[in-house]
Amino acid sequence: MNKINKKISLAKKKWKDLEDNTEPIIYVGAASCGRAAGALELLDGIDQFLVENKVFARVIQVGCIGPCYLEPLVDIKLPEQPRVSYNNVNVKMLPAILKSHLLQGVPHTKLALGNFGNESFYDIPRFFDLPMLKPQVRIVLRNCGFVDPEDIDQYLALDGYRGLINALKMSPEDVIGVVRQAGLRGRGGAGFPTFKKWTVCRNSPGEQKYLICNADEGDPGAFMNRSLIESDPHALLEGMLIAGYAIGASKGIIYIRAEYPLAIERLKKAIGQMREYGLLGNKILDSDFSFDVKIKEGAGAFVCGEETALIGSIEGKRGMPRSRPPFPAISGLYGCPTIINNVETLGTLPNILRNGAEWYTKFGKEGNRGTKTFSLVGKVRRPGLIEVQLGTPLREIIFDIGGGVQKNFKAIQTGGPSGGCLSEEFLDLPVDYESLASVGSIMGSGGLIIMDDDTCIVDVARYFLDFTQKESCGKCVPCRVGTRHMVELLDKITHGDGTPEDLMALRTLGDTIKRGALCGLGQTAPNPVLTTLRYFRNEYLEHIKDGRCRATVCKDLIEYRVIKEKCTGCQSCVRVCPTGAISGPRSEPHNLDPTKCIKCRSCYEVCRFEAIAGDAIVIRSAEKRT
Amino acid sequence: MPEPIESILAKHDRKQEELIPVLQDIQKEYGYISPESVKKISRYLRISENQIYGVSSFYAQFRFTEPGRHSLKVCLGTACHVRGGATLLEMLERSLGIHCGETTSDKRFDLERVACLGCCALSPVVQIDKEIYSRMTVNKLTEHLKDYE
Amino acid sequence: MTKEKKISITIDNKQVEVRPNITILQAARDNNVYIPSLCALEHLPSYGACRLCIVEVDGLRGFPTSCTTPVEAGMVVRTDTAEIRGLRQEILKLLLSEHPASCLFCDEHDECKKFMGTIRKVGVITGCRYCPNDARCEIQEIVDKVGLTETSYPVYYRGFPVEKNDPFYDRDYNLCILCGRCIRVCNSIRFNGTLAFKQRGKLTTIGPAFDRTHLEAGCEFCGACVSVCPTGALSTKTSKWYGIADAQVGTTCTFCSVGCRLLLQVKNDEVIDVLPDYDDTVDQGLICVKGRFAIPEYVNSPQRNTTPQKLTPVGYEVITWDQAFDLAAEKLSGVKPDDILVVISPQLSNEDLFVAQRFVRQVLGSPPMMSSVLFDLGNDISSFFDLVLYTSTYDSLETAQGILSVGFDSTYGYTPIGIAAKRAAQRGAVLVTLGSCDSNLDMLSEASFKMEPSRWAGFLDVFTDSLARKGKGKSRGTKEFAGNLNEVTEALSGSSANVLIMGPEVIFSYRRNEVFERIKVLRDRLGWKIIVAHPYTNLIGMLAMGAFPGVKPGELLQNGSKSIKLGLPSLDPTKRKKLVYLVGEGRFDIIPDCDYLIYQNAIMPSSWRQPDLILPTSLFPESPGTTINVERRILTLEKATGQYMDSRADWWIMTRIADRMKKGKFKYKDINSIQNEIKKQIPNFKASKKKVDFVKIDFKNGGKWLKGSTKVEPESLPSATYSSYRGIPLAQVVGGMKIIEDWDRSSSFSDKEAQ
Repeated sequence: MNKINKKISLAKKKWKDLEDNTEPIIYVGAASCGRAAGALELLDGIDQFLVENKVFARVIQVGCIGPCYLEPLVDIKLPEQPRVSYNNVNVKMLPAILKSHLLQGVPHTKLALGNFGNESFYDIPRFFDLPMLKPQVRIVLRNCGFVDPEDIDQYLALDGYRGLINALKMSPEDVIGVVRQAGLRGRGGAGFPTFKKWTVCRNSPGEQKYLICNADEGDPGAFMNRSLIESDPHALLEGMLIAGYAIGASKGIIYIRAEYPLAIERLKKAIGQMREYGLLGNKILDSDFSFDVKIKEGAGAFVCGEETALIGSIEGKRGMPRSRPPFPAISGLYGCPTIINNVETLGTLPNILRNGAEWYTKFGKEGNRGTKTFSLVGKVRRPGLIEVQLGTPLREIIFDIGGGVQKNFKAIQTGGPSGGCLSEEFLDLPVDYESLASVGSIMGSGGLIIMDDDTCIVDVARYFLDFTQKESCGKCVPCRVGTRHMVELLDKITHGDGTPEDLMALRTLGDTIKRGALCGLGQTAPNPVLTTLRYFRNEYLEHIKDGRCRATVCKDLIEYRVIKEKCTGCQSCVRVCPTGAISGPRSEPHNLDPTKCIKCRSCYEVCRFEAIAGDAIVIRSAEKRT
Repeated sequence: MPEPIESILAKHDRKQEELIPVLQDIQKEYGYISPESVKKISRYLRISENQIYGVSSFYAQFRFTEPGRHSLKVCLGTACHVRGGATLLEMLERSLGIHCGETTSDKRFDLERVACLGCCALSPVVQIDKEIYSRMTVNKLTEHLKDYE
Repeated sequence: MTKEKKISITIDNKQVEVRPNITILQAARDNNVYIPSLCALEHLPSYGACRLCIVEVDGLRGFPTSCTTPVEAGMVVRTDTAEIRGLRQEILKLLLSEHPASCLFCDEHDECKKFMGTIRKVGVITGCRYCPNDARCEIQEIVDKVGLTETSYPVYYRGFPVEKNDPFYDRDYNLCILCGRCIRVCNSIRFNGTLAFKQRGKLTTIGPAFDRTHLEAGCEFCGACVSVCPTGALSTKTSKWYGIADAQVGTTCTFCSVGCRLLLQVKNDEVIDVLPDYDDTVDQGLICVKGRFAIPEYVNSPQRNTTPQKLTPVGYEVITWDQAFDLAAEKLSGVKPDDILVVISPQLSNEDLFVAQRFVRQVLGSPPMMSSVLFDLGNDISSFFDLVLYTSTYDSLETAQGILSVGFDSTYGYTPIGIAAKRAAQRGAVLVTLGSCDSNLDMLSEASFKMEPSRWAGFLDVFTDSLARKGKGKSRGTKEFAGNLNEVTEALSGSSANVLIMGPEVIFSYRRNEVFERIKVLRDRLGWKIIVAHPYTNLIGMLAMGAFPGVKPGELLQNGSKSIKLGLPSLDPTKRKKLVYLVGEGRFDIIPDCDYLIYQNAIMPSSWRQPDLILPTSLFPESPGTTINVERRILTLEKATGQYMDSRADWWIMTRIADRMKKGKFKYKDINSIQNEIKKQIPNFKASKKKVDFVKIDFKNGGKWLKGSTKVEPESLPSATYSSYRGIPLAQVVGGMKIIEDWDRSSSFSDKEAQ
C-alpha cells in the first residue's frame, strides 16, 4: 500500500509540473482516427518545425477527445497559459499556428477552436462550451484526450486506481453491493444488471474463475471501445481488477479485434506498467487478491462478440455460439464460471468505486443510471464519439450535439446492424434500454447512424441484413437460412421486382428468426427490416408499386441523364465513361445511351467537380414505372 | 528469410487455445497459411489438420493462398456503403477481372472487402497496402492503382 | 456409482421424476413425450442447431432448445403449444429450403408410399425415390410429425458434385442439413478429426482440410458418420439402395482379436450392412472399417466357393458333398499320420476348433498340427504367449495415466483400443508412441519416436532406465533417441497406472523376441499393464480348445495348479508332406509341398498351387458359435443368414468326413451338441463365467519347436491395413480395402522418401 501511495504522490507531482509547465507543450490527438486524418504527418511536421526554429517544446501524443469531424486536433500549452486547441490541422496550416503561438506567444485566434481554461482566452471559447461538447457528461471518457495513454503516472495523478484501492478495502460482496446500488447495467447491448451476473458467478462453485473483457467491437460504424482503450487503457484495466476482485477471478482476458493494432499496443504497454507498479500479479497492493491479464486477438468474425462464441474463439475453436443455459457465469471458459463484460462497463467501474454509488446515481434516470458512450456517424454534421446521460432524448443527441443533419433528417439506426431504424416521430424518445426496446430497437453497444434524404431505407435494411447474413456463423437454421431468404427478398425489392406479398414474407421470416435463432446475432438480425417495415412502409411500397427509389440509390430503379440545357460539351464525362455510353462532339450537349450505362457514377462525379458546367449529369428515379 | 514455423510454434504452449495466435503469427510471417504449416501445427498442438482448417476458415483473417504484392481493401462499412463503396468494389472487380477475395493472376493485387476501417467521416475509403485513400471515386481510384506495380 | 437422486419436473402439465444432469429432451424421451429433433442424438454432445426441439420453460426467455437445456428441480416445461408448433413449422420450412424436398411434398406422396408406383421423374439427387435414405430418412419422419404439408421458400440447391472417390461410402452434400452429427461423432467419439465444418454462414460445408479426399485426410472409414447422418448425404456404397433391413442380428466380429460386437443388417437372407452397437461393453460401438464395411462384400463375394470341387487334369469338377466326403476319407485314410500336416486357422469358432482337434487326434491319429500363429512367431512363440495369454482388459486404458504404444496404429483396425488410448490422452494421460512410421496415435501423443523396428529393444532399454531414474540425470543413449525422452519419462514416473499397447508390427518385426523381453520387464518389474493387439482372432480359443500342437483341451486353463509344463512337438514346416489339410486357412505361404491338398475354406487364395479338393465353408454370419477375444472374454456368434449356396460349417464337414472314415464317435447334430461335449471335456471352460484364464506356462526347451536349423521367415505384415481373414487378404475380396492398402503403401513409401 505504501508503495503505491508513494507512486501516487510522485505522479501527482509530475502532473502538477505538467500543468505548471515551464516549457511549451504540444498535444497531438493520435488515436487511430487522428492518425487516419493525418496526425502522424503532423508529428513529423512539428518535429521539423522545432528543429528548424531551434525551439524546444514537449510533444505528447494523447488519445481521442471525441469530435471526429475536428480531427486532427493539435493543442498548444504555453507556460502560464491555458491549453489551446486547433482543429482540422494539416501540414500547410501547421507553420502558421506554430509560428504565431509558439514563437510569438500569441494563439492563432483564427484557427483556434477552444481553450481548456476556465474562461475564454483571447476570445477563444472554452473547449467544453462548444455545442458538441456542452451537453455531454464525461465519466467514462473523462481522461480521453487529456492524458498520455502510455503514461501510467498521468492516470494515477488523476485519481486513477483510487477505485481499486477503495474496492480492496471492502469485501468482494460489498463491491458487488456498490455496483448494485449504482444501478450499473451491462453496456454491451442487452443492459443486464451487472451485479446480478456477478453474484451468480461469485456464488458458482469452482476454484478457477475468469473475467473476460469483450473488446470485439464489430459493429460497422462503432468505435467507442477502440477510442477508450487507445485513449485511456488504464480505465479499462482498473475496471477489470475491480470486477475480478468482486467475482473472485484470478485470470482476466481481453478479447480484442486484431483490426485495432494501436489499442493492442497501448494495452500491452499499460499492462507492463501495471506489473511494474504492483498492480498485476500476486497479492496486488499487498492484499490477498491476485490477478493477471492476457490479451487475445480476434481473427475477424463479428459473431465472436456473442459471449459464448467469444469463449469458443478463446478456446481456439470456431466462434460458434452455443445455447444458454448453462450461462457462462456458471459454466463458461473451459467450463469454469466466467464473466464477460463489455469495455465500457468495465471502464465505468473505477468511477463508481472512486466516487461511490450515490454519486453515480445522480446521472441518468431511474432504472437507467449513469452515462453511455455513442459513436455518432452517418449524415450528421458533427460526427464523433460522445458520452451522454442515459435518458437523453434522441433529438438532443442528433441536433444539439451532432449539429443536425446535412439534408433532411430521415432516420436513425440505433444499436448497429442488430438495432432498429427509427423515424422522425421518435426524435423525442429518451435513449434508455426500455424505451428503445419498446419501439423495436436496442441500445446495442452504442452505434448511432444518422440517415438523411439521400439514404434509401430499403437499401440500408438490405445492407444491414446482408452484413449479419455474411457474419452468420451458419450453425442454426433460422439464422443461416432465414437471413438468406430475407436478403434475397430485399434484393428483389431493390431491383424493382418486389411484390406486396414479399413484405408479408419478410415479416414472417423476421419473426421466425427473432424467436427461433440460437444467439443474439440471429435473434436481433431482423430488427432493421422489422423496424423499417413498421416505420417506413411507404418507401418499400414505392419500390414495389412505383418502381421508384426516392433517394436514387437502388441502381435498377434509377437512370442517369444529361440535362441538355446545362451541358457545355466539355467531354470530361466522355473520357471517364468506362463503357462508352456517353458520346457527342465537343461543345455540344452530349448523349447518354442508357442501354450502355452501368451506373458507375464516374460521369456524375466528374461533372460535379471537374466539368465546366457542373451538375449537367443527374441521377433520377422514375416517377412511375411503365 | 521468414522465421521457421518450428520456432514460431516454440513460442506457444501446446494447447488448443493457442491455435488462433499460432495461425496469426504464421500468417504475419508468411502472408498465408500453407498446408505444410497446418501439418506442423497439427503435430504441435495435437489438433487434426482438418479441425485446424475448419477453425481457420471460419475466421475472415486467414487465407490459404499466397497473397498478391498489394492488398486492396474496399471498406463497405455503413458510411462507405451509403457513399458508394459498393460501386468502387464493382469497378475494381471488373477492371481487375477477379472477384472479391481473390488474387489477380499476375499476383499484383488481392481484392478484399472489409466491414469498417473506422474512418467513417472520410468515406468512401479504400486501403491499398497500409495507405488509406479517403473520399474515393472511381476515377481517383483508377489513378491511384497506377502507383502500385 | 451411487444412485442419483431423482428430481421432479413438469412436462406438459404432467409431473414426472427424472434423473438429474440430463437435458429436457432426454427427460421427455424417458417419459415418452415426443419432441422433434434433428441434430440431437444419444451418445453425442448436444449442439442445438436445428432448433426443432424448442420448448417453453417458465422463467427462461424465449424458446430454449430442449437438447441443450439441463433439467432443474421444479422446472415447468411445455413442449407442444400452438406457438411452438407454428414456430417449428416455420423453422422446418427454412431447413427444407436447403434440402431437396420433392419426396416430402408431392401430390402423389401417399400413393407413392403405399404402391411405390410414382414415375421416377426427377433427377438423380433431387429425386424422390433416388435418395439413398428414402424410408430411413429422419426428415421424412419429422415432416410427418411436425405436420408440414407444404413449403413456401425457394430451394437453395447447392449443386455440389457427389463425392464418390473414396472407398465404402458416398457423400452428397446437397442433401446435408449441417446438423453436425457426423462431425461430432468423428471428433468427440472417435477422436479422429477427419470431418470439420469449413467456412461459415451460408458457405458452411463439411469435410477435410483443403478439399482433400477422406483417404488423404486420414479417415478411418469407420462409417460412424454414415450411421448417424439423418439424411441421405452420407450413404454406404454397397447397401445404399437396399432400403430398410428385414432384421438385425447381433454377433461378434471375427476379423481380429478385439472381439467387437456387430449388428448385422439382414435383408432377403443376405447381410447388407453392419452397424456398431454403442451400448456394447467390449467396444462401445467403436468398430473399425473391417467390421463396418468389409463383411457384406466378403460374405456375398462372387469369389466364394459354392460347391465341393475336385481337381482333374482338365480343371475343377463340381462334385456332391457325398462324393467329396468319400474322396476326402479315401485320401486321408491312405496316408500315415506322419505324412499328413493339418493347418488349423485361429479364426475359427471354439466349436469348430474343438471338433478340428478331435478330428486330428482321434480320426487322423495325431498327425502334426500347425497354425499360422505358430509359423509367424517361430521359436519366439513362448515369449509371445507369455504376453498375449495374460493381456489386460481394454478398460485399463480408461484409468491409465501413462500409455506407451509400440508398433501400433489403429486407423484401419483395433479401433476400440486406439480410441481408448486417444480418449485417455485427451483427458490428460501421457501418451507416447514408438514405431517405424507414422501412427494415428501420434497426433495426440506427448512424444512420438520413429525408428527401425530393430532399434525398438534398444529404445525400450533406455526408456526403462530413464523411467527408473524418473527422467532425472543423463541416460545412456538419450541423445540417440533425440526428443524429449527424459521429459516424457519424468511425466510418467508419477503415474502408477501405465499401459503398454503392443501392436501387430512388433509381431512381424525382426528381433521381436528382444522387444517381447523388454515389454515383460516393464510388466514384471514396473507393474505396467500390457494390451496386445494381434490378428489371430480366436487364438485364446484355439489354446483353450487344444487345437494346437502339444496342447490338450482345457489343459492350459486355470485349474488350481500354479503352472504347467508344456512341450511343443518339434516340426519342420518346410518338409514335404504327402497330404496337407487346410482347415479354414488360406495361407499357402506357410505350407510345404505336398502330393495332395485338401482346401476347406470359403474363398480361394491367389496362388499357383491348386488344391486337389475344395470343401466350401460357411462364414461367421452363417453359423452360430462362440469365440474368445484377447481379453479372454467368451463372446457369441449368431447365425444371421442361411448357408451360402452349398457351403457348410467347418465342424459339419469334419464330422461327416469322420463318419466316412468310421473313426471317432462324432455325433454332432448342431452347435449345442458340441457345446455340451466341450462342457463335459473341459470343466474349466465355464461359458457361464464369460471369461477364461490361463495358468502360467513353463515351456520345455524354451518353446523351441522348429526342427534343427529350420528357419521360417514370414512375409512382413506391418499393420491392420493388410489384414486377412481365414488367410485371404481382405484386399483380395473387398474393393475398398484394396484402395486403402494401395494408399497406405504409397503414402508410407513417400513418407520414407521424405525421410
